[in-house]
Amino acid sequence: MTKLNTMATAGELPDTAIMSEAGVLQWASQGMLADISDMYGAGESKPLDSLAFRYQGKVVAYSVANEILMLYYNKDMFDEAGVEYPPLSKEDAWTWEEFIEVAKKLTKDKNGKTPNDPGFDPQNIVQYGCLVENLPWQLETWAISNGGGYYSKDGSEVIIDRPESIEGIQKVADLHLVHHVAPLSTGATDDSIQRSIIARTCAMGTGGQWNIGTCLASAKEEGLNYGIGVLPYMKEKVTLCTGGPNVVFNQTKHLKEAKEWLKWYAKEENSWGLIESGIWMPTLEKWYTDETLMRKWVENPNFPPFDEYKKCVIETAKDMSITRSASWYYVNNTNDFNDLLNSILGDVWTGRTTAAEAITSNIEALKAAFRGE
Amino acid sequence: MNKTVRKKPRYSLMARKESITAYLCLIPAFIGLTFITYLPLAGVFGIGFFNWKGLSAPVFIGFRNYIRLFTTDPYFIDSIKVTVYFAVLAVFGSMIYSFYIAMLLNREIPARGFWRAVFYLPYILPAAAVYIGWSWLYESNFGLFNYFLSELGINKIKFLSDSLYVVPSLALIAVWTSGNLIVIFLAGLQNVSRVYYEAALIDGANAFQRFFRITVPCMTPIIFYNLLMSLITNMQVVVPALALTDGGPGNASMFMTYLMYRYAFKNNHLGYACAISFVFFVIIAIFTAILFATSKTWIFYEGDSK
Repeated sequence: MTKLNTMATAGELPDTAIMSEAGVLQWASQGMLADISDMYGAGESKPLDSLAFRYQGKVVAYSVANEILMLYYNKDMFDEAGVEYPPLSKEDAWTWEEFIEVAKKLTKDKNGKTPNDPGFDPQNIVQYGCLVENLPWQLETWAISNGGGYYSKDGSEVIIDRPESIEGIQKVADLHLVHHVAPLSTGATDDSIQRSIIARTCAMGTGGQWNIGTCLASAKEEGLNYGIGVLPYMKEKVTLCTGGPNVVFNQTKHLKEAKEWLKWYAKEENSWGLIESGIWMPTLEKWYTDETLMRKWVENPNFPPFDEYKKCVIETAKDMSITRSASWYYVNNTNDFNDLLNSILGDVWTGRTTAAEAITSNIEALKAAFRGE
Repeated sequence: MNKTVRKKPRYSLMARKESITAYLCLIPAFIGLTFITYLPLAGVFGIGFFNWKGLSAPVFIGFRNYIRLFTTDPYFIDSIKVTVYFAVLAVFGSMIYSFYIAMLLNREIPARGFWRAVFYLPYILPAAAVYIGWSWLYESNFGLFNYFLSELGINKIKFLSDSLYVVPSLALIAVWTSGNLIVIFLAGLQNVSRVYYEAALIDGANAFQRFFRITVPCMTPIIFYNLLMSLITNMQVVVPALALTDGGPGNASMFMTYLMYRYAFKNNHLGYACAISFVFFVIIAIFTAILFATSKTWIFYEGDSK
């Protein structure tokens, strides 16, 4: 970003670039990005609609890859506890309460007791049921799932102080504080899957699809027996998607060629290594509808079995009734907002304060961050 | 009369020649200081008056950045508090620890060279590796320290995740890595003349008296130097926030340098970050000035006539 800033100031930007998600609307609002709405023609397979970054209704970027948030679990730990595996499709998704009940059966103190047993010792837990990633951008899933969100659907307003948003966030904190089924996690790092199911500290963990390629494929080679599932839900079934954006800069003298190049460059064939290894998901719609393409993409040892992956990941990712774009696709200043939110929630995770208290007392600062002040 | 008139230009000619040589020799340092220290400092001061987000042209906004810092900024006041809190703990902790270890290492102990290396080692280890290593010890759920605590039947402590404990926990790491102070203390201790101790022994002074009446006074110049260096280093603390805490939980480890870095390079508020860094400069300058001003009252120089 620093390099792009310097180049922008000097008027020496390249024609196109892949940039950070949270930078897109900031750059668009300063008039630096070209409208690429017409990049894909009428007969062509377009990227999934959830992958278009929009500023004032115009598409200013498409993600070069797709990612959705999902659930992973350690099958061995489920088998040991004799618990049924998490569901693969949205129809069977667990409610939040069901999720907590399962997590309780998978949580053990050093005497082997679960939170359901008398004499359970929450100070000496050796295995937790779940780890729900609470990085601010991923945490929004739960505010939305509980009927709220950080922002209104059109991105024009901050709604994180609504009771349902606050309650959704508090429910995530309560996994550790009240139910003792999750370890303390302060939303500072992006390694929930390594810390949980790979390290065998937790039986379930939430995280992005990329984990299949970045860490689970190699862990599987070393003997990890893992499975995938859809996220549980509070009131609404929802997951978030994201992916690094490709943009065309307004300074370009070759807008048409730049769009043409970007379209070619974003083709799945050109980043096949990342797709095949399970890190990136394709962006063009056809990969989510054409069974031959799906098999080409998924049928290799890096992935879970084809049927499971198709049901759980592919079906979910193309279903716009549950997959929502992460907020940086349509809201500016998400970096500032998320940094501030992370800071505000620090004492919520440890129980020193509540989500309600933390958010209502800082709502003006959050709104100022949203406005970019 | 004539003689004196003639003499004056001769001396000043020599002096002038010498001063020319001196200035020539100073040029490299002067260039370095000007371009790497003073001009950037002036630049930072200047940019602090602009709203500059890196992309569009900077807009002059007077003192608005500074006003926002002290009124609506959600991090800044906390950031000053935690930085000073950390610096006080880390400076006093590492001074006492280093002085004590230096005293031990100054004795006739077996394998003295080995022990000196052991205590110096943490200082030269890569900082990021040190902090990641400590983070495993400190880990709230399964860390080694908490394992020992639970074996002893004590409730777990959330060393880095609890706003109450995070700064003391990080200060402890800073104390552990203060090997450079030990070396300087050690050199100082070896310069304290044996004569005083012998005289004190003959007069029947006990170990405490010898320590407080001889060692400490003779060491005050070294103590001052270490205090100053340690203060500046610890005020500029940034690695633990970068490597471990992201400034959290809450603002509990939002050190000023980290806040400045985050505004400037993560969120593109360059003008604003410059204002922070200027305030930060002023704060360190104030602390240094206080230290210098009080130093005359407690430093003892052997060669001093007073």
